[in-house]
Amino acid sequence: MAAETPTPIPIINFKQQALQLLPDGASFDACLTCGLCSSGCPAAGIENMDPRKFIRMAMLGMNETLSTTPWIWCCTMCRRCQHVCPMSIDISQLVLLARSNWPNDRKPAGIVRSCTLIRSTDSTSAMGLPPEDFVFVVNDVLDEVRATQPAFAHLQAPIDKQGAHFFVNQNSREPMSEPDEMVPLWKILDLVGADWTYSSKGWAAENFCMFAGDEAAWYDVTRKRIEAVDDLGCSVWLNTECGHSYYALWNGINRFDLDVGFRLESLITYYARWIREGKLPVNSDWNRRAIKFTVQDPCMIVRKAYGESIAEDMRFVVRSLVGADNFIDMQPNRSANYCCGGGGGFLQAGMNEQRRSYGKRKFDQIQATGAAYVLTPCHNCHSQMEDLADAWHGDYHVVHFWTLICLSLGILGENERTYLGPDLLALLD
Amino acid sequence: MTKERRHVSCQLAVVGTGLAGFAAAVFAGNRALDTALTGNTGALAYTTGYLDLLGAMDGGGPPLDDPWQALQTLQATQPEHPLCRLSPASIHAAFTEFTSFLGSAGLNYSPPGRRNETVLTPVGTLKKTLCVPSTMAPGTTALTDKKPCLVVDFHGLKGFSARQVVANLGGSWPVLSAARLVFPGMEHGEIYPEVMARSLETAATRAHLAELLREVAGDVTTVGLPAILGIHRPDRVRAELEKLSGLRIFEIPTMPPAVPGIRLRELLEQVLPQRGTTLIPQQKIKTLSFEKDAVRLDLADNYGPIVIEAQAVILATGRFLSGGLAADPNGIREPLLDLPVSQPGSRADWFREGYTDRRGHPINRAGLSVDDSCRPLTAEGRPFDRRLFCAGIILANQDWIRSRCGAGVAIASAYRSVEQVRQLLGD
Repeated sequence: MAAETPTPIPIINFKQQALQLLPDGASFDACLTCGLCSSGCPAAGIENMDPRKFIRMAMLGMNETLSTTPWIWCCTMCRRCQHVCPMSIDISQLVLLARSNWPNDRKPAGIVRSCTLIRSTDSTSAMGLPPEDFVFVVNDVLDEVRATQPAFAHLQAPIDKQGAHFFVNQNSREPMSEPDEMVPLWKILDLVGADWTYSSKGWAAENFCMFAGDEAAWYDVTRKRIEAVDDLGCSVWLNTECGHSYYALWNGINRFDLDVGFRLESLITYYARWIREGKLPVNSDWNRRAIKFTVQDPCMIVRKAYGESIAEDMRFVVRSLVGADNFIDMQPNRSANYCCGGGGGFLQAGMNEQRRSYGKRKFDQIQATGAAYVLTPCHNCHSQMEDLADAWHGDYHVVHFWTLICLSLGILGENERTYLGPDLLALLD
Repeated sequence: MTKERRHVSCQLAVVGTGLAGFAAAVFAGNRALDTALTGNTGALAYTTGYLDLLGAMDGGGPPLDDPWQALQTLQATQPEHPLCRLSPASIHAAFTEFTSFLGSAGLNYSPPGRRNETVLTPVGTLKKTLCVPSTMAPGTTALTDKKPCLVVDFHGLKGFSARQVVANLGGSWPVLSAARLVFPGMEHGEIYPEVMARSLETAATRAHLAELLREVAGDVTTVGLPAILGIHRPDRVRAELEKLSGLRIFEIPTMPPAVPGIRLRELLEQVLPQRGTTLIPQQKIKTLSFEKDAVRLDLADNYGPIVIEAQAVILATGRFLSGGLAADPNGIREPLLDLPVSQPGSRADWFREGYTDRRGHPINRAGLSVDDSCRPLTAEGRPFDRRLFCAGIILANQDWIRSRCGAGVAIASAYRSVEQVRQLLGD
């Protein structure tokens, strides 16, 4: 059998394309080549490329190199380069363009596979979990909680409830591999009296089609999820502790100029609101050993979407949970924070050496805080930072917000403590 | 999808997040003015970290040792210069207040003295400045005392050469030597001061670098490093590195992209909101309109449109690089309000024949003309609006690069503007 020849990567005229992509008043010619972008980019130097080099090569017409450089899969499109650029030049647009230009058989297989799986069922799950399996897992876990946790004998996890206020999405990782991790959020929603529902369709909170640079697939997934919310007549699409699922839908709606009849909100905003309103009576009394915590701002909901307001909400929640004195901010933070290196599909791309090299800066940031725990409302950040702790020999743990909220409230079940280190587990014994 | 328009209501809106805009927000905060601050990244990231008041007179002459004396000369020779809008005592108070604020936030500076300090530039030449970051101050002492000193640079670091520093300073600083090290964990490729600085915020890198410095220093006890001693709390990084190495260590500024500017930006962006300023970072305002009851500023961030309504506005939008001024074949414009720009009569007069002409180029004195309250003037010489003030290098009649007065103009005019805003709102 003859070996298959990989499809050649078409060559893009980057300069020409770049000029079309520009917003009003912006100019790639305005680049001063000062290097703030590269200086502030964790991907700088990987695959012998950096943002400044990328933009200069584009201006010089070095289209073949740029069209074929694997660096575009190491850039997480976190837009920190634009954030620090005095001329506000957005290099991530060119990277997305380059990604979309690669034939599918040349793109990192993991990202392509995740996108294919998303489109394989009505769930839109990147792990391919079909609707009926999702419904089964949810009900199965719910039955067990009701049977084993008397305080939650009447816990609800509604599915396809017409007219519910909140449409809550769910990262596939939980129903697929750690179903008990769904429970803390159910408890929180129960406690605050939220009128919520899952949907059997479009429930999943991943969208690797965006990262694959597959515009048509991104559009399809966006449409399918919008339809799922509209079918149930929900008022608010409440995004779980996940960064890119929010960004992919929110940005997809803007990008494809779609009309939706519901609001898009982040769980973080509601955690903060429910704490302020007294519906989530958390406090930090449990932290009697003054265990230190830091927080990771996911690019997808902070720098690239809500900005400072959600970053502030996140800090309010963390301070309420662990005590103001036990919270140590990473430097830099908020909109200036570094991407962890798990975004942009990097975790799925199979480029582990490059990804860990990228993540070294995140690792250093965490180490510099001296915190024992990192809280983050993003599954990719979560996985990446855990992996970095292993790869670079750190001794911190990464936890979801829902875990700590339930811990603070004294309602964290025994099977819901996967991410706690020995110090926190000891407090619960 | 309907985008919610967010509203910010405040007493003072500051437009611009360069040194002038940040300084205005600091002064306003200290005076309990409810303030919103917005602006793009701008040129702050390019600073050496030194805060110059006045280092030279326009038109040449020797570097100035006594900036306060020079201010009096300036009053007599260039009364239109922005530094002549307030008394030397007020300028001193402004510098004191600004550096105290930075110090209280964790970035220590020498207070404004009676004379300029002589400090090192990234290439090892000398310049005059008023206030020096405490991470750099020991360099000035070592230079004055001519202490034996080793200057260290790093493989892969562009924009800073220890050999160049030594070559330029060797004549006036006899026992000066250079060495090059591999920065811990950064053995390959191009490396940036920012990345090294972040890494030095971890104990492991500090310990490793301290060991390398001890080995390379030999008998020398004073070491000059490029400015890489941490972004956040650099004084602590320096102190710990000194403790671990047993050496006296100081920083020398580097070429952009450099750490001192990133330090200032990140510090101010964090501390100002903690002290009550509403910060909308990395955004340029689109329109500015003066309505009867309020001044309205329209802008948008990634999330959507924002409207700021203020009782007064300070425009600190810089010159060409930051977009405060725009040049086209017909002349120089102020793009936001189309304020009259003081400028050479025609484009042919922008530049002199010789690039290095000691008199400088007329275009570098272009900008907004203001009254004594720092209010921009119309073509008829009246204030454009009693609620509009102006600060920083957008002001006309100064060539800040040649006369080393960028921070002076920024801090002094911000101070003056905020004082005037307070008076206006108090009336």
